[in-house]
Amino acid sequence: MKKGIKKGKITMTITIGIACFALVTVMMMQFKIVNETDITSIENMQEAELKTELANWKSKYDDINAKYEDTKSKIEEYKNDEQSSNESSKLLDDELNQTNKILGLTDVQGEGIVLTLQSGKDLTPINADDLLTIVNSLKFAGAEAISINDQRIVSTTDITYINNQFVKVNGQRILEPYVIKAIGNQSYLESALKGNGGWAEELQAIGHTVTIEKDDKLTINKYNGEIETKYIQ
Amino acid sequence: MEKNKFWKKINQDEQNMTNKKVICAVLGIMCLALTFGIFVQVRTVKSTNSTVSQNYEENNLRAEVLKYKERYDNKFKELEEAEKELEKEREEATKNNSELEEKEAKIKEGNKLTGMTDVTGPGVTITLSDGKGITSSTLNPSTLLVHDIDVLSVVNELINAGAEAISINDQRWVATTAISCRGNTIDINGERIGAPFVIKAIGLPEYLSGLERPGGYLYILRENNVGVKLEKSNSITIPKYTGVIDFEYIQDVN
Repeated sequence: MKKGIKKGKITMTITIGIACFALVTVMMMQFKIVNETDITSIENMQEAELKTELANWKSKYDDINAKYEDTKSKIEEYKNDEQSSNESSKLLDDELNQTNKILGLTDVQGEGIVLTLQSGKDLTPINADDLLTIVNSLKFAGAEAISINDQRIVSTTDITYINNQFVKVNGQRILEPYVIKAIGNQSYLESALKGNGGWAEELQAIGHTVTIEKDDKLTINKYNGEIETKYIQ
Repeated sequence: MEKNKFWKKINQDEQNMTNKKVICAVLGIMCLALTFGIFVQVRTVKSTNSTVSQNYEENNLRAEVLKYKERYDNKFKELEEAEKELEKEREEATKNNSELEEKEAKIKEGNKLTGMTDVTGPGVTITLSDGKGITSSTLNPSTLLVHDIDVLSVVNELINAGAEAISINDQRWVATTAISCRGNTIDINGERIGAPFVIKAIGLPEYLSGLERPGGYLYILRENNVGVKLEKSNSITIPKYTGVIDFEYIQDVN
């Protein structure tokens, strides 16, 4: 009788041991594969993703090709105009203007939208993170120029707050209502803010006052600081 | 006495029964977990391999994507050459004219700021990786992962600390850069990148490393068990922006 119990126990222990071993092995395999799978590589993309990826690379190629042609023609112009300094001067001005446009150092205008945000009463006020998220989604929707209360968003723009209260953009304190202007495709910009997790709509849902207006000839002021570098070589 | 013995025996039997039941239950749960593990495993293996070899349509698309990528890379190299040539021609054309030379210098300086050239300088490298440890306080495993908003906030803090050039996994941060979530990966400058995220910034290392201060964003990420590493360095190279910034909607104001 006693021996029988012992035998049973041993078999049981061995069975459990084997099961544990198998389980651990399978788990290890699983972890290894998950770790090794590079989710950004195109080998692991599905059809729909691949189609987006293809469209993406196609348009990137077209862009860079256009820029290449443009650069080539500029080279030709410089070569041709070597004698006349007036013409070179004009070329230089054009190039400088283009650079300044990218940097946000020129006033620009075009079609776009104006988003006005006013915190609701008795609610946690709209804060810097909300503005950061909205600016990010506008950029993602292809905004070419953005400003918040006439502070132009450039590559070195930070949106921070002090004491959870005062919002600072480009180091300047701004006050409510926040007026965000963006130039770009109006329907893209609008859909980035509304619907499907759009941050403006989320803010509205909590009880803040949000208005979006379209403007076919919106003007956005230039960045009125200076972009300077000390550490870049 | 006899009665007592009888009850004791019954009790013992019952205890044996419950013991057996517990063992059975444990075994059952184990088998279930094992089967589940095997299923997940089989599914992962299937989805990773089968797409590579079996789907004709997808393979075609994949080849097409690679083709365009290659064409893009080639064009990009040509463009780099052309830009060097343009710079030379510009210098040539502005020689012997101080007014023009000044403009030429401004263009060069501007190109540095727009992110159109590789730059080096002192700064910090911040690495954010998905957390591995699971602590009892981690009720929500999502906090262990690095999200788009985390990267965005870190970049924002770096700019606030005076960073002059920033890249995320070698994607240069420019005025139009957006960071957005795309499933398990994030999308920067139209390119997909995954964790770990390596954020490089040029600026005064002492200021930039101030991001580690208590209460700062990196501190909060660390509290959430996200992998955070910050290294100062005297020489950091940040690659140039590999896309093209062109404007379709904005015009000059006259």
